[in-house]
Amino acid sequence: MSTEVQTIASMEGASLLKTSNRRRFNRYARVQFTNKLFKYIFLFSILMLCLVLALVIFFIGKTGILTFKDITLADFFLSMDWTPEEGHFGALAFILNTLSLTGITLLIAVPISVGMAFLLVEIAPEWFKQFVRPVLDLLVGIPSIVYGYLGLTVLIPLLREWSGENLGDGLFAAALVLALMILPTIARVSDEAIAAVPKKYREAAYALGSTRLQVMMRVVLPAAGRGIVAAIILGMTRAIGETMAVVMVIGNTAQFATDLFMPTSVLTSNIVMQISNVEFESTWNYALHMMAFLLLIISFILILIIRLMSRKRRQEA
Amino acid sequence: MNKRVRAFSMALIVSLFAVTTLFSGAASAKEELKGRITINGSTALLPMTLQAAKEFQKLNPKVKIAASGKGSVTGPQAVKKGIAQIGACDWDASIDVPGFKAFEGQVANKVAVIPFATIVNKNVGVSNLTTEQLKGIYSGKITNWKDVGGSDSDIVVITRAFGSGTRVNYQLKALGGGDITKKKENYKEVGSSGDMKTAVATTPNAIGYIDLVYVNSDVKAVKFNGVEPTTDNVINGKYKVWSYGYYMTKGQPTGATKAFIEYVQSTKFQQGSLKKLKFIPLSAMK
Repeated sequence: MSTEVQTIASMEGASLLKTSNRRRFNRYARVQFTNKLFKYIFLFSILMLCLVLALVIFFIGKTGILTFKDITLADFFLSMDWTPEEGHFGALAFILNTLSLTGITLLIAVPISVGMAFLLVEIAPEWFKQFVRPVLDLLVGIPSIVYGYLGLTVLIPLLREWSGENLGDGLFAAALVLALMILPTIARVSDEAIAAVPKKYREAAYALGSTRLQVMMRVVLPAAGRGIVAAIILGMTRAIGETMAVVMVIGNTAQFATDLFMPTSVLTSNIVMQISNVEFESTWNYALHMMAFLLLIISFILILIIRLMSRKRRQEA
Repeated sequence: MNKRVRAFSMALIVSLFAVTTLFSGAASAKEELKGRITINGSTALLPMTLQAAKEFQKLNPKVKIAASGKGSVTGPQAVKKGIAQIGACDWDASIDVPGFKAFEGQVANKVAVIPFATIVNKNVGVSNLTTEQLKGIYSGKITNWKDVGGSDSDIVVITRAFGSGTRVNYQLKALGGGDITKKKENYKEVGSSGDMKTAVATTPNAIGYIDLVYVNSDVKAVKFNGVEPTTDNVINGKYKVWSYGYYMTKGQPTGATKAFIEYVQSTKFQQGSLKKLKFIPLSAMK
């Protein structure tokens, strides 16, 4: 084998010496070949990703749709009664809980993280930046189960003391854990976006007599807007889809949360709690798949809304 | 360049071919007992299954056993679908139980006795509960510890999600078939035995239920109708909250599967490793 390769190599070496014309052609062909090769490899990768997404939507949707063989659309979407053992599969409570949990999480996380990003770029001294950025990067990489465990063992007892509740589980605990989880993500990505705003914008604004606050709010924030929106999307999708951290602190009881400290359940936590205990061919299983499908749809819709909003703003600007 | 690529791919194909022939050669070698056993299902039985698999594979090196635990009902389901040869289940899945229909054509092989215990947080002063009191607590009629002889504080109910094998057995044996009702407050569902222990251990005034194997000094096991939950009391018939653990198979087991189940049921394993893992040998119940 090795001798054959050597022969080829020596032959090629000989031909290189013979004619420079031939050599140029060889090189051209080689470049053409590698260019094409890599183009097709990556095109293939992109198509494979699309195919995976399509398969996920198709298979989850296909199983999910079977739900409506046994119950009506209204029963599923407009009822809050989730008692699988008695044949009630109302998912409305989970949908509303998911939306409100995401809302509360963003309400807590966005102002703090964007503020942190501004502090990092505009105000903090260099040594502080160099210290905080790697710390934030480390925080992004911590597995969610660790956050969940900390929530269960540290946060919940604190909340219990503070609120006087017996349990402490509920939307508030989950939102706090999620906010802590997505804070570093949003902060780091918006940090990059803000740092990418050209210095001349700031200088021009200062030259016109702006205060530092005015520069940040009226010049840098709009200029970095799209990047910050992208950061929020990243954080939000992580919050919506998060399961392990949520399931540990939310109480896992299928009911609509009317207060922040009521044991409740969201789409993800309900799926993970029940999926291993259901029979494959049952309405219950189909309904759980339908909930997973809904989760996909909800995050698609939210991403679309935010994309549209940021596009509109760009056109206005 | 192209020539080089061709030469390289040739080499690749040749070596792949060599590897495949090697493997198929190994596989066609003759052995008395060989095969692959996949075991799926109950997490409560998993420690025992893993131990048995380890010992069995030492005796029969040609048998490959893959065991995993997810939830009781996945056991018989995996057997039904043909994914697994053995489905570990905390109840007899060949007959109807509350919430689950019988799995047709499956055979339940008893392998162990699993005791369950009612546990409370260590701050709870109550040390004995009757069937009626437990029924009241889990159906939501009794909400304060003072009503069952404790101090004046709310009872926090922790329960397994519907469909858990532990819950099926606890409802049948400890609550006399009674319901577990969800409540707006002081009520929480957990997904596994480990979570149950953590939740009861860290929540003041909490009550829950768990396999006796998991009970340790983090939580307090309470008496049931005046009887301490111990393996001795299960064996002498005083403590009623226990069930058999089953290996479900499609029809009567054959070949390596049969040999494995027989090994688990053998006196050597039942009196040795099984006892060490705090399960109760089958023979003790006769």
